[in-house]
Amino acid sequence: MLAPVTTESPGTTGPEEPRASYMLIFRGGAVSRDDVSPSVLQAHVEKWYRWSDELARQGRHNAGTALDNAGKTVGGHERIVTDGPYAESKDLVTGALIIEAASLDDAVAVARQCPTYEFGGSVEVRPVQNGGG
Amino acid sequence: VGEHRDVEAPAIGLVEDLFRNEHAHLVAALTRTLGPSNLSLAEDVVQDALVRAMHAWRFGVPRDPKAWIVRAARNRAIDVIRRERHGASLLPQLANSAAITDTIDAALAPAADRENQLAMMFAVCDPALAPETQVTMILRWQCGLSPNEIGQAFLVDTQTIDRRLHRGRVRLRELRQLVDVDRLRDVRERRGSVLQALYLLFNEGYHGSNPGEPVRPFLCIDALRLTELLLDAPATAQPDVSALAALFCFDIARLPTRLDAEGVFVPLEEQDRAQWDRPLIEAGLAHLAASATGDRMSRWHLEAGIACEHAVAPSVGETAWGRIVVFYDLLMAQSPGPIVALNRALAVAERDGVEEGRRQLVAVADEKKLARYPFYWAALADLQRRADRHGDARSSYQRAIELSRSAAERTSYRRRLDLLEIP
Repeated sequence: MLAPVTTESPGTTGPEEPRASYMLIFRGGAVSRDDVSPSVLQAHVEKWYRWSDELARQGRHNAGTALDNAGKTVGGHERIVTDGPYAESKDLVTGALIIEAASLDDAVAVARQCPTYEFGGSVEVRPVQNGGG
Repeated sequence: VGEHRDVEAPAIGLVEDLFRNEHAHLVAALTRTLGPSNLSLAEDVVQDALVRAMHAWRFGVPRDPKAWIVRAARNRAIDVIRRERHGASLLPQLANSAAITDTIDAALAPAADRENQLAMMFAVCDPALAPETQVTMILRWQCGLSPNEIGQAFLVDTQTIDRRLHRGRVRLRELRQLVDVDRLRDVRERRGSVLQALYLLFNEGYHGSNPGEPVRPFLCIDALRLTELLLDAPATAQPDVSALAALFCFDIARLPTRLDAEGVFVPLEEQDRAQWDRPLIEAGLAHLAASATGDRMSRWHLEAGIACEHAVAPSVGETAWGRIVVFYDLLMAQSPGPIVALNRALAVAERDGVEEGRRQLVAVADEKKLARYPFYWAALADLQRRADRHGDARSSYQRAIELSRSAAERTSYRRRLDLLEIP
């Protein structure tokens, strides 16, 4: 039986297409403190839920993690521990999300729908390497 | 993270207005604890907690969102106090960290919320401040609107709002502390200002200044929420407060039918009364019953009485117009004004016939305010149409259209103009 022809928005793919995992790495997207009202903050987080629901509806099995800004960095042969991430706030990694997509272009199309740009965030899209294929 | 957002899981959302309501709760609690001179610091702490929540919740809602925000604000407040204590400015009376933690926890406890928000309301409704300054402060600190959002509501620029808030802050600073209404010495002087401010707040939601968004139910709901806080405290639970709460209930119950899908005002006779909020009308009736004590018939009693007659009537024809006219007569005696006169004339038209109503409307036409009020001309046109004076009705509708302040008003009048016979 043939699958019905559907006209879907770019970024959606039929279930029969091969899928691979991609990680979306979120940077920045922090708000400057004063000019954003409580309603706008709540509306912003709700946009993320609508986006996530849409990804779930497309069968992309998204699972994300938010990161706090404080932290430590361990590095070098001596395993030296230093305070905090060094990045400027716009470059600071604030979270990551793994989704399934048909191709890098498809994953980029997903990333373009993310609400993070409202507050100047950026998204890095990277294929997840799975060991044996 | 993520497990609860599986494909089949229903969309998980947040309680409506959670961030705004927590803003109000926390600003009042922290301002009371830190003192009104540290209001800006309290605002910073709360804003910081809300920004953190927004950031942390992007990939899922915590189990208890409200508790999460309170916890974030608590931790931030304790950090700030400890840091500031080196400068010895904040809460110097607290001996140690444990005392600070206990004080903040007690202030942020749900049980303290009503008292804190009432204390805040009575502090900002200072009779020495202009009513629009009081409402601006309520919108900022008790409804959680930003200066920009308040400016949009009042159709004034953000700088004007900032100036009002600055005046308010300066005045608050003189208070040194926000006193519990049960112990407030000038509670009687201030309560008039409080009720007036709540009425203005409600009106800003019911027919606001911004023509692009003339109805904003959340402001009406906030006005009712704050009014009901007054009813929960013995010091402020007077009959006229019950009357005000009743008025708000009856009007909010009818909000769903005020605008159609295109945002155009719907005339009363065309509104689908089945959509009115019955439980809220019941709540209004309970408030109205509670208001019927004492010997003073306040303006809010009369307005609630009128709103009640509309809310319980099955149709325009079956409305108790006789009682409504009596309420308007009393209102005219107590607080006369052109809008009251206009509404009284419309009630007379329903009670005594279109011709009598039309005569009364024409009699008040000289009022400067009414002559420039589009609703006056539209109401007159309606009566002229019903009296088969279609020529007069046409020019009145045209006048209403010329004066109208929003697309919604204009469309509403144009639709009625189109119903007229072709001349």
